[in-house]
Amino acid sequence: MVRGSRSRAWLLGAGLLVSAGLLVLAAGLSVAVGAKSVPLGEVWSAWLHPDDSYTSAIVTSRLARTELGLLAGAALAVAGAVIQGLTRNPLGDPGILGVNAGASASVVLVTATLGAGAGRSVWAAVPGALFAAVAVYVIASGGPRGRATPVRLVLAGVAISAALAALVQAIALAQPEVFNSYRFWVVGSLAGRPDDTVDRVLPFVVVGLVLALLLPRGLNALALGDETATALGLRAGRTRAVGAASATLLAAAAVAAVGPVGFVGLAVPHVVRSFTGSDHRWLLPYCALLGPVLLLGSDVLGRVVARPGELMVGVVTAFVGAPFLIAAVRQGRAGL
Amino acid sequence: MSAPAVARPRTAPVNRAVPVNPRAVMVSGALLVLTLALAVLTITIGELGIAVADLPAVLAHQGSRAQEWVLYSNRLPRLLVAVGAGAAFAVPGAIFQSVTRNPLGSPDVIGLGAGSAAGAAAAALVWPGVVPVPIGALVGGVVAAAAVLLGSGRGLRAPYRMVVVGIAVGAMAMAFVQFVLARTTQQEAVQLAAWLSGSLQSRQWGDVVTIGVALAVLLPAALALTRRLQIVEMGDDAATGLGVSPGWTRGLAIMVGVALTAAAVSVAGPVAFVALTAPQIARRLTGSSGPGMVAAACMGTTVLVAADLFAQHAPWGAQYPVGVLTAGLGGVYLAYLLVGEWKKGTV
Repeated sequence: MVRGSRSRAWLLGAGLLVSAGLLVLAAGLSVAVGAKSVPLGEVWSAWLHPDDSYTSAIVTSRLARTELGLLAGAALAVAGAVIQGLTRNPLGDPGILGVNAGASASVVLVTATLGAGAGRSVWAAVPGALFAAVAVYVIASGGPRGRATPVRLVLAGVAISAALAALVQAIALAQPEVFNSYRFWVVGSLAGRPDDTVDRVLPFVVVGLVLALLLPRGLNALALGDETATALGLRAGRTRAVGAASATLLAAAAVAAVGPVGFVGLAVPHVVRSFTGSDHRWLLPYCALLGPVLLLGSDVLGRVVARPGELMVGVVTAFVGAPFLIAAVRQGRAGL
Repeated sequence: MSAPAVARPRTAPVNRAVPVNPRAVMVSGALLVLTLALAVLTITIGELGIAVADLPAVLAHQGSRAQEWVLYSNRLPRLLVAVGAGAAFAVPGAIFQSVTRNPLGSPDVIGLGAGSAAGAAAAALVWPGVVPVPIGALVGGVVAAAAVLLGSGRGLRAPYRMVVVGIAVGAMAMAFVQFVLARTTQQEAVQLAAWLSGSLQSRQWGDVVTIGVALAVLLPAALALTRRLQIVEMGDDAATGLGVSPGWTRGLAIMVGVALTAAAVSVAGPVAFVALTAPQIARRLTGSSGPGMVAAACMGTTVLVAADLFAQHAPWGAQYPVGVLTAGLGGVYLAYLLVGEWKKGTV
């Protein structure tokens, strides 16, 4: 048994390396593919030795977009995995549970009242994300037997998302001159974001990921139920607080960076769990590596299918990720 | 009438000798009067509004040219589409809520509206002129309904499963619509974007004809199914014992519901949550235990006409697509409905 688990650990460790390789490949493709394609070899040399050439200019401009995808993809996938662990809910995803809608509503509200400069800060997204998360949880656990089952959380997320998305639309339509540049962001897009977005978002993603690093043992214990977890010496309340802080920061940062992109947080943990099982010590690192692979891959796909224009990445992830919601329901772990 | 104002439990026995519920008749009548008042308001208020005193003259084609234009080219088609689409959204809501025995199983929650929108967008922009838009909407609605029923793996027996699968199908359908939008030229895309959130702006007489024909054919069919649906709600065994085939009744009802939703979406866009809320409110007002098509239709009409009136003359200036308003209010109502369902312990 010990030997079996040791060779499994080796296998999963090697898998992490493969995932890192996939991540590099996805990042390379994200820089190479577009209206003007650049061969992968030239991407590499232009990145290492930037010069004044046209190719180099293209690579530099696409690099910013790729960095954004790396950060947002990791943030969304880890946030999804943490939410799924905390709520013991295989349908968890910051998009489905309304957190993204809350974050974008508060970004739009802040922009409308305090101006575009304030709206670009990640802090503008945090209160809305927190509000939506709490509201969804409260609605879902309403009632005397107060248990937030997966389906209750999803439905509460639909309700909150619908109301907040309508608010976003209403504000955006009332101030068209302010929100013209938000048209793509509202659907979720890696393109056309201000240059300093990566710098603004990076600290939040790092803090969120570091908090997530503290969580695996706690989440593994929570999966056994609150009573068993307490008997094992876990402070369930503290795990929940750290987890909620981590997921909220990550989702808010991702939304501030690229808009409300859905289904990445659902699909990636779902795929990863099929080979790691439910051990969060493996699940979370894999999500951090494979989340960007899905997001960057979707972005590349969006540039290919709608040539010469491009499809916003939020549209592609909805199409690619929604089937995982059906798959998760059919597996029966959602209690449906 | 001693029925309480709140909805009775679904399992309450249906023991009326007459199939007509007097309270439902009263409620429907009141809603019709209210709709008429809202309709007069819709036509009369605002910058271009026709004064109430002039209205009979304009209706008799004796008004000024400006007044005639406002009424016949602008406000009347829009009003009539709102009236028709309101009923055509609400009746499928009543049908699906009855068939799934669940207030959340309404077409806009389980992705049928989005599916119809995807079909309509494809018919309008991907293959323009090949298929009429309403037919495209119908095909999209059928595909979405089939995807939800097959995707859930257990069909109608697991309504909550259907709801979650429907969220996924709806997300994919809306993604497809965005894909279509991204591929079209700017001008068409701007027009479609307003329609996409559900809008009644600049409706034409052609839209009135579309929704009118659909209602003329499908509403009687829905009414004819009401009694059977009511019996099927009591349980498959009871229905079979009473000589009503549950399978056929549900199948026919779903077809009528999908077709009506497609008609409504093709003229008004996927207006959110009228299908969810109108039948529920109607059911609470009439205190009836059955699907109550007539009351639901009247309530849908009232809701959509009122929402569109408010959307046109909202105090904050900008003209909103009516769907933004219904989505906001409907989302709040959905949350309220959910808490009520949890308290009953149905999930």
